[in-house]
Amino acid sequence: MPQINLLTDGVRLVAEPTDRFKTACISVSMALPMDEHMAANALLLYLLKRSCRAYPDMTQLQGKLDALYGASIGADISKIGEAQVLRLQLTCLADKFALTKESIAAESAQLLADLIFRPNVKNASFGAAALQAEKRLLIQRVEEELNDKRTYAYEQLIANMCQNELYGKPKYGTVEEIEAVKMSDVYAAWRNLLRTAIFQITVVGAADAAQIAEAFTAGFKRIERAPVTPPTQFVQRARRFNHYSKSFPVNQGKLVIGFRAGMADSLDHIASMTVMNDLFGGGTYSKLFANVREKMSLAYYCWSRLIASKGLLIVECGIDTEMERKASAEILSQLSDLRNNKTDPALLDASKRSLRERLTPASPYGILEWYSAQVLQSEICTQEDRIAAIEEVTMEDVCAAAKRISIDSIYMLSAEKTEEAKA
Amino acid sequence: MRTKKYTDAKLSETVYVGKHSSGLEVRVLPKAGYDSVYALFGVRYGSIDTAVKNADGVFETIPEGTAHFLEHKLFESEELNAFERFEKTGASANAYTSFEKTAYLFKGSSEIEASLEILLDFVQNPYFTQETVDKEQGIIGQEIRMYQDEPDWQVMFNLLRALYKSHPVRIDIAGTQASIAEIDADLLYRLYETFYNPANMALTVVGGVEPETVFALVDRCLVKKKGAPCERKFVPEKPAPVQSYIEQAMSVAEKQFLLGYKLDLKTPELTLAEETATDIALEALVGRSSPLFRRLLDEELIDMGFGAELFCGHGYACVMFGGTSRDPEAAVKQIRVELRKVRKQGLDPDAFERAKRKLYGKSVMCYNEIGATANLLLDLWLCGDPPFAEIAACKQVTLEQAQAQLALLQDKASALSVIVPVQKETADV
Repeated sequence: MPQINLLTDGVRLVAEPTDRFKTACISVSMALPMDEHMAANALLLYLLKRSCRAYPDMTQLQGKLDALYGASIGADISKIGEAQVLRLQLTCLADKFALTKESIAAESAQLLADLIFRPNVKNASFGAAALQAEKRLLIQRVEEELNDKRTYAYEQLIANMCQNELYGKPKYGTVEEIEAVKMSDVYAAWRNLLRTAIFQITVVGAADAAQIAEAFTAGFKRIERAPVTPPTQFVQRARRFNHYSKSFPVNQGKLVIGFRAGMADSLDHIASMTVMNDLFGGGTYSKLFANVREKMSLAYYCWSRLIASKGLLIVECGIDTEMERKASAEILSQLSDLRNNKTDPALLDASKRSLRERLTPASPYGILEWYSAQVLQSEICTQEDRIAAIEEVTMEDVCAAAKRISIDSIYMLSAEKTEEAKA
Repeated sequence: MRTKKYTDAKLSETVYVGKHSSGLEVRVLPKAGYDSVYALFGVRYGSIDTAVKNADGVFETIPEGTAHFLEHKLFESEELNAFERFEKTGASANAYTSFEKTAYLFKGSSEIEASLEILLDFVQNPYFTQETVDKEQGIIGQEIRMYQDEPDWQVMFNLLRALYKSHPVRIDIAGTQASIAEIDADLLYRLYETFYNPANMALTVVGGVEPETVFALVDRCLVKKKGAPCERKFVPEKPAPVQSYIEQAMSVAEKQFLLGYKLDLKTPELTLAEETATDIALEALVGRSSPLFRRLLDEELIDMGFGAELFCGHGYACVMFGGTSRDPEAAVKQIRVELRKVRKQGLDPDAFERAKRKLYGKSVMCYNEIGATANLLLDLWLCGDPPFAEIAACKQVTLEQAQAQLALLQDKASALSVIVPVQKETADV
């Protein structure tokens, strides 16, 4: 069990100190509601990562990190349910591997706290040039989602399927929203973040959790906290089926099928849903791998994933465009088999063993991901807890879980016919 | 099995290297406090092996993509396939093929010996038929198509085709739809017999396992008792590229570019010292704390993904600079100017020191993940280097060595590969 500390209202520290690894890893997750400020929040995150009062220039800050044996600070934004989660993540070398006597971890941790609490702000401004630069980079990031067709098709399915829910909104805001952000919006977003976001600081490895707790407690000292927990709407059953498609000049089509998972909250039947999803389209023993890929040779990849934080289950595969009907019919027929207990019982054990294996941490990054994803959970669940719950799942539970899911939408990214084919 | 112990005290890690009488090399790094184990069984046989030496000592051409095709087929068996066998131990199994090697792997946290036995067994016992080979054509065909739609992949292979006239590094790892159509079961069996022999292979194991356990298991499970390393054909390439510019239109949002400098090789491979000096020099030159990176960013010619790397192997070595840019030609011009400047004035010594520290830190961090460590041990074996050689090399690089590597980058031996957005192009017409 990790050490859990509540530093102030809505600010939790989760620490797993260990000297098994060569590093100290710290992530700060900050959850905000998905409202009209998403673009300003996103820009804020990249501005915080860019510099701070002690290192007001990005090249200077980067130079400092390099000198700290290649310490790195990453920034990412994700949706956890209907919350926009901003995250800063630091990885640095453990002190004992330094070639000279230095305290890399303590210095890096202080730097991370400085980025959040002591940014490079003068007269309520992060600097016009910095904002301009980050706007360009963020817009490019949004536009470049088109480059990876697998992710793009997935995002299009979510945007269409959840168009009447907050979850359908893009995580960075739209290009138009980003363009419209003013300096005063970013500054207000920073004040709002410190006051209202739900924070979780996750620490894994050779770092002093007490020192990190101190740095963050000091940062929050003069802030009047009024934390807001963003709610998530769970649509348990699909209503009318929708089919969306668009063609692109590509070689391979991408079929994405969206299901409602029938979950009332992110932990509802979580163990049986996890096993069911794994048997449906997880491991190499799964129905989709064994049939869509191995038996029918339709695809190189065909898998499903469970988005428990929103109660969705999504199937993805890359196929020849004209095989769409054949592939989707097979995927649904496999789901039907799963519902009707037409699954070799030995596969249930295989799935449990494999899930246990995947939940056994072998790197600091895996542990960090597991805990930081729980920023909005009131109780921290360990990987051992989840493994134990999975052990209890029966084939009846799996069938019941499969019966709860309902198909909502399909998005087909199809390959345009080439010039020769048209002629 | 003859064994030898290598220790890096600062890193506090020890690798036990065993040399089996058959020629197989086994490298084990035991990790205290770890339940998980990551094992890799690798073969010196990759996509660049498009020629094989026959009994008369003559190199005979084989279709492109055989190493990768064989990788797919080895999972098959007359009874339970390899995946089904790993289901019993819970280990996650996989495999990959690169330019220079094929590797089979598993990660597991219980029944380690059973998983190791399965790994050794399925790689040593090929079983497939013409029917299952035919079936695989469809799956691999989809894999090829998937990569054809990935701009990062295409920009790199286009560059390699512009730089290299005949070296097989210019062909896609999986081959082409046409080349895989030439592959049949007989050919795969024949190539299996040639490449998959213990003297051409290595096993690396990292995590919660004792070296003695692994060595004993290898002694017990190794089928072929003899073998010989396969010779690779080395045909030196002329320094000049095939073409200095190559372009492809794809469905992307913005232009992407990769500028490549071909290095002139007198021997088939660079030394580890040369590789490390190049890595540090590139970090100092274009890393995120460099003046060049900042200038390109301020002029809106790159994004945060811009970077440079050395790409090398048997018979090929080049340095690649690349990223996304609204104006690749303008970005390239500045890179060339900076290279000329450094050739004249040398690298900034502070930047060199920072880059060296950063590379050292990253090298140590590689021992954080058992998978990364096992892959590192296999790569070191492939180059004939002992464990921890990369860390020693990093500590020894001097400013002069780093500068000397940058001086090898000649504009006349370079080429530029660009991906342009397909929509934009049609809109301009």
